[in-house]
Amino acid sequence: MTGFHAIRLTTRDGKRLGFDCTANESIVAAAAAAGIFLPVQCRAGACGTCRATCDDGDYALAAHSPGALSEDAATRREVLLCRTFPRGPLSFALPYDSSCIATEDSAPRPAVVTDLAVIAGNTVRLLLTLGPDPQRGGGAAFEPGQYMELKIPESGVTRAYSLANTPNWDGQLEFLIRLQPEGRFSAWLSGGARIGDTLSVRGPFGSFVLDQGSPRPRVFVGGGTGLAPVLAMLRRMAEWQEPHQARLYFGVNHESELFLLPELEHLSRELPRLGTALCVWRPGPDWTGFAGSPVEALRRDLEAGAFVAPDLYVCGPPGLIAATEALAQRHGIGAGRVFSEKFLPGR
Amino acid sequence: MFCYQCEQTDRSTAMVGCADTKGMCGKDAVTADLQDLLIYAVKGIACYARRARALGSADREAGGFMLYALFTTLTNVNFNPTRFTTLLQEAARVRDRVRAQYEAAARTRGLVPEVLSGPAAWQPAADMDGLLAQAKGAAITAGREQVGDDVIGLRAMVLYGVKGVAAYAHHAHVLGYEKDEVHAGLEDLLDFLAGEPADIEALLDQAMAVGRLNLTVMELLDAANTGSFGAQQPTAVRVTSIRGKAILVSGHDLKDLSLILEQTRDKGVNVYTHGELLPGHAYPVLKAYPHLAGNYGTAWQNQAAEFAGFPGPIVVTSNCLIEPAPGYRQRLFTSGPVGWPGIRHIADGNFLPVVQAALALPGFTADLPEKTITIGFGRDAVLGVAGAVIDAVKSGAIRHFFLVGGCDGAAPGRNYYTEFVEQVPRDGVVLTLGCAKYRFNHQDLGDIGGIPRLLDIGQCNDSYSAIRIAGALAEAFGCGVNDLPLSLVVSWFEQKAVAVLLTLLALGIRDIRLGPSLPAFLTPALLEQVVARFGVKPITTATADLEAALRRAA
Repeated sequence: MTGFHAIRLTTRDGKRLGFDCTANESIVAAAAAAGIFLPVQCRAGACGTCRATCDDGDYALAAHSPGALSEDAATRREVLLCRTFPRGPLSFALPYDSSCIATEDSAPRPAVVTDLAVIAGNTVRLLLTLGPDPQRGGGAAFEPGQYMELKIPESGVTRAYSLANTPNWDGQLEFLIRLQPEGRFSAWLSGGARIGDTLSVRGPFGSFVLDQGSPRPRVFVGGGTGLAPVLAMLRRMAEWQEPHQARLYFGVNHESELFLLPELEHLSRELPRLGTALCVWRPGPDWTGFAGSPVEALRRDLEAGAFVAPDLYVCGPPGLIAATEALAQRHGIGAGRVFSEKFLPGR
Repeated sequence: MFCYQCEQTDRSTAMVGCADTKGMCGKDAVTADLQDLLIYAVKGIACYARRARALGSADREAGGFMLYALFTTLTNVNFNPTRFTTLLQEAARVRDRVRAQYEAAARTRGLVPEVLSGPAAWQPAADMDGLLAQAKGAAITAGREQVGDDVIGLRAMVLYGVKGVAAYAHHAHVLGYEKDEVHAGLEDLLDFLAGEPADIEALLDQAMAVGRLNLTVMELLDAANTGSFGAQQPTAVRVTSIRGKAILVSGHDLKDLSLILEQTRDKGVNVYTHGELLPGHAYPVLKAYPHLAGNYGTAWQNQAAEFAGFPGPIVVTSNCLIEPAPGYRQRLFTSGPVGWPGIRHIADGNFLPVVQAALALPGFTADLPEKTITIGFGRDAVLGVAGAVIDAVKSGAIRHFFLVGGCDGAAPGRNYYTEFVEQVPRDGVVLTLGCAKYRFNHQDLGDIGGIPRLLDIGQCNDSYSAIRIAGALAEAFGCGVNDLPLSLVVSWFEQKAVAVLLTLLALGIRDIRLGPSLPAFLTPALLEQVVARFGVKPITTATADLEAALRRAA
């Protein structure tokens, strides 16, 4: 018996990739050793970024967060590739296109803080500008929905944040960040960060991107700063004048936590087929919009037949993802048409 | 999906054609089905447009839409299903407008308007599942059980020829050149196809009508290109890179190339051509831009490796696009009828995002040693030295001409064209056009008394030049084209080549060598007909075909 097992991956767009993996290596690590850099974030079974479905073969699934992969999902042979170790030849279906897989590791680049502003009670908008790179030039190339890793050089603190803007050739990176009371990066943002400071950034990463080949209606659910990647997708749609029917459900706990409302109004003007629902969980007496969670607002519209066979894009805390996925299942929207990105503590 | 419109179609099954979830070109089943439905919708427009035209109510805007819509369905042009759902809605609106014009024109003349059925009565379904259900009835194989493979194959040949005609006409149209005769011809052909014809002779007649119409279109396109940019001139083109920021422009669209050149004027950005835009360097108006720096790469099928190695943005202006690799997706742009999901499309001729990308990306960091190839032997250049050419033939210095051209592709059998040219005897002259030239255009074949032995006529879009050159030689020698010491060795890939082939057949040109494989829509019975009527021959080996050509001429 050899120590290597043949691993086969098939992307959503039908590309097949193969490499060998020992029983002591995770699929993610073996893929990287073979020059295949899969979308991955925590590498510790906590974030769910590397989720895939095993089509065939035996494997061991190491300890992981139930928020990243539920017991039910694991029973359906869904896995986290960073926590999956082969016990024989394996084949996996990946829930994203081959364009989300890098063929070279992302080297860090310097990026300068060009703006930092509070946009709601506990949310800031951070703007960075990438420094020029001899190979990649000065542009910011990514897919809307992806994220970057930001590192504070002095402290070494590293966090991953979704990009809220669209790819551009000026090197601009925009992030919407919720300040965490005990967060070290949050502490830097609210205390030490200055315009002109330099961060080290790596990326882009992630497979939470638009299924560009799908002409179906697009429904977006963003909880809090989970709006960031969704905003990037909507901005892309506006920039390219994409014709899809679209609806955004933006949910917060209190109306004081809403942000970028003029921007959302602007997007509605740019995208005539975009509707927006602002959803406040515990509104004050003057709130006239939807009172409740974005999932409840979505349920109301699905029951009213507002969309036929939509694609669902959802980003936010695990509870929001789980509730949206359950709702989608009840309404016959296949798991393959639900695209999600979890925001977990510690990112 | 079922599609067998191009040369690379899946030949591994009993019914040759792409019928899986994805075609050999990368087109997925949804896109393929939506394209079928769009063709159906365009036939519906044509049914009313033809009748409206007969009553003096022609609609040129509808004609332009039909050209564009048909062009999007050619091989390697548009892979974006969203674009097709939008085009289907637009097709219904155009059809409704043309129908209203027809009905108004009929009533004005005291006639009762016809109420049409089939494609003319189609209404787009409300959602994707409905559209895909409609597409089943619009497939190229619809009715196969009733009429058989020969009729389906001939319908396909006429339709694919129509697509090719539309693509060429679209290129002229974007330069402001159009003819009612062309719109009328296409309406007639599409109306004919909408009637689900099943008579073999009628279908063959209409295939010849496609060929004749294409000749008119090729002449129009020639006028558009030379009228806009001047007549091609023999020009040495640099094929090595120069240090500095760079944009690569691929496809066939000379207008887009001219817009990019104008919008990069004095920006410190060099513009390179790729594939079928190589002839752009030979047009006086375009070559006057000092930053039209050179030609980069080869033919379309090599773009994945070539685009990955280009250090700037890339614009694919018209066919041929293949699936973009992750390494260059972010710096790839499409324009005109071209599209790929997730790739930035420039719809309005404003290439500012491309310029921004060029300035942000590194560009070439060093000059490579200069190498050039010579191009620009369009009809004006060749006929300008007709006297010398005729004298060379009469003196025996030139024994034979070979027109070796058409499309390139990835099939291994295409080495035939390289081998053929390499074996052409020293007293032979090779004329070429299309991207098949990249199989041999880097070779120095020398000259015969100052006449280059390799004459690059231009794009496949310049087929009219080749026909005019052949016609002029025949006139000079007082014979027919088939009596000239000229052999045609044609490489086909997609529907524009079908249109050109039908033109050659309609002109009565015989003994064309066609390869690398024959169209899948030609059944054995149809192939027999084509061989018997037109003398078309499949290629065999370069050595044998060359010997046969020289033997025939002797």
